[in-house]
Amino acid sequence: METLFAELAKSLVSGIIMGMVFALVALGLTVIFGVMDVVNFAHGEFLMIGMYTTLLTSPLLGVDPLVTLPLAGLVGAVLGIMCYYGLVRFLLRGPMVAQLLGTFGLMLTLRNLALLFLGSEPQIVHKGLLVGKSFVFGPGIVLESTKLAAALLSIVSFALVWWLVRRTKLGMALTATSLDAEGARYMGISTERMNATAWAIGGASVSIAGGLLVNFWPVDPNVGLLFTMIAFATVALGGFGSIRGAFYAGVIIGLIVYFPPAWDALSNFGGLDWPAIHSFKYTFVYLIYFLIMVFRPQGLFGWKQ
Amino acid sequence: MRKLAWLTAAALMAALLIPGLALAEDKEIKIGVIYPLTGGAAAEGRELRAGAELAQEIANAAMADIDMAMAKNAGVKALGGAKITLIFKDHQGNPQLGADLAKKLIEDDKVVGILGCYHSSVTKTVAAVCERFGVPMINDSSTSPALTKAGFKWFWRTTPHDDQFTKDLFEFLKGLTEGKAKGVPAVPMADVNTLAAACEKTEWGTNVSDTIKRYAGDYKFNLASNLLYAAKSPDLSAEVQSLIAAKPGAMLFASYTSDAILMMKTLQSMKAAPKILWGQDAGFEAPEFVGTLGDASVGVLTRTVFTPQVAQVKKVSGQVNSLYQKKVGHDLSGASARAFTGLQAWVYVLEKAASTKPEDIQKACNSITIPGEELVVPWNGIKFATQGEDIGQNVLGMGMIGQYQKKGDKITLEIAYPFDLATTNLVYPFPGF
Repeated sequence: METLFAELAKSLVSGIIMGMVFALVALGLTVIFGVMDVVNFAHGEFLMIGMYTTLLTSPLLGVDPLVTLPLAGLVGAVLGIMCYYGLVRFLLRGPMVAQLLGTFGLMLTLRNLALLFLGSEPQIVHKGLLVGKSFVFGPGIVLESTKLAAALLSIVSFALVWWLVRRTKLGMALTATSLDAEGARYMGISTERMNATAWAIGGASVSIAGGLLVNFWPVDPNVGLLFTMIAFATVALGGFGSIRGAFYAGVIIGLIVYFPPAWDALSNFGGLDWPAIHSFKYTFVYLIYFLIMVFRPQGLFGWKQ
Repeated sequence: MRKLAWLTAAALMAALLIPGLALAEDKEIKIGVIYPLTGGAAAEGRELRAGAELAQEIANAAMADIDMAMAKNAGVKALGGAKITLIFKDHQGNPQLGADLAKKLIEDDKVVGILGCYHSSVTKTVAAVCERFGVPMINDSSTSPALTKAGFKWFWRTTPHDDQFTKDLFEFLKGLTEGKAKGVPAVPMADVNTLAAACEKTEWGTNVSDTIKRYAGDYKFNLASNLLYAAKSPDLSAEVQSLIAAKPGAMLFASYTSDAILMMKTLQSMKAAPKILWGQDAGFEAPEFVGTLGDASVGVLTRTVFTPQVAQVKKVSGQVNSLYQKKVGHDLSGASARAFTGLQAWVYVLEKAASTKPEDIQKACNSITIPGEELVVPWNGIKFATQGEDIGQNVLGMGMIGQYQKKGDKITLEIAYPFDLATTNLVYPFPGF
């Protein structure tokens, strides 16, 4: 019985921790969508660029990977602004389809540029302050320092963005633009500036997430795809544009992905021989995405806050 | 006068063309080689390529200091000294791409035959293409037993397969409990009886998983957990959690390079402590494994087909290993040694066939016997079965189990099984991370 509780507790903890990481990845997507109704297919590629930034600059500058996080954030913000002014601004003039295809094209471009310049082999950070260290507490629950740091950063980022959006003038301007861009323009809020800001925030948050992710998740040019899909599922579940929703939905998705060991534990406990479902963990995530789209398209927390 | 000029020109052209035609025909022999040169097993791909290239270099030149029949002449003697040309293609671990590349090699490059492909899943599709076109294929490095059970007439495999290798594992475990392992007193069966296995889920891993299940039953071990996972997974913590929860005495893996390293790192971070940790070769033998994991790899057992220790007992292995070291900077491994042997088999088959026609090559493959002394790998030789269950399988191959041990500052792969070939005392239990 104790083993069952221990195993379930382990799954719960892993799920919540990874869930917070997924939530952080999804945060940028929901901010961009919230402000300008643009679905950014290239979101995962921003993550990938953040991962590569930390991976490559850390040995180059001879510093710990953690120190390069602000740099990754800066790269993400600059890339976000460049993408806005260079591409998305023009897409907004066209129909919805143009926006979807445009960011899809951006995704392919970024992915293949990375393939061209950085090669296709998976790479991961090997040396760092947090790498390879873990805490053990309770009934053998092992928490890797890198994942724990990513989860803490996630909470901090969410708090920061929430404070930014709710309590600062900039945030109120962003919210105004998302609710009624034209009305906001009459009030003197430049829609262009707000859109670019959204892209900067979105790009920065996901790049910083990438910088921490690369400590325990190998990066290759195609890593963005999985995270774009998870981010979409997270944002759909939480509600497009809802910051609170992205957090809770991320945690739920994390719990789903870490469910298979709990399943195995239950199977062992009951003396049954249920087949291992590890291969299907992402299938369940996409299943949830599908069910949400069919039965509650506005997600858990509605469309916009 | 005009007529004479035309006739002279025509005669001249004919005179120039004929030798040209004859030269074009047997100047080079093209063999298509399909390996995973990029992607998660790129590390192994590089080794395979280097192994095949070294064999090509030895075959194409006369090297008096290598004790091999193919080193005695430059090129293939039976074909007028024609040189072997290798056309390398990268299948990236994708079976469909492998099949397309094979078709291109056969139809556009007009290769005489194919060598490859490492990933059993890719070998499966490429072999089907070769079978359809009637082009001979020699498989040097894929070990899924199913590949030789299809009854193909154009497919031969030099490497022993996983049935043999998994049996070696269970004989090893049994021998461990009987005190046969060098330097280790008999281990109580209860300590290693519970097994947990995690195999990647393509053609290769699923077959390994099935053979482990079968032999576990035969040898009366308890396989408490037997899972499959995607080799390209970036995160294996859920799988490792399930493995640890089964409280196994021995953990068994079938992984390619990037997932073997990830598996080990995850086991390390989750403080796994099995008594035996064994890998079915592949990623566990890649140079990156020790290179990336360093001391964390000490004590890991892996099925292997070649270790540098063999170079000490077999002269020709030592000779070829020195050349390989000069070429690449490190020793031959299971992958490079088998790729070398695969191309070597091609050369010997071409010598025997004395022709590049498919039917002649087929006949040569089915009747050839290459003695063990010619090979760098410690096999009894190469002879392909022509009847029974495993048609095309080399029946004279042999497997070994190696263990990573640290001697001074270097980590080397010592032979642990067969017990009578053990080069040093076994490290037991697995020292943990």
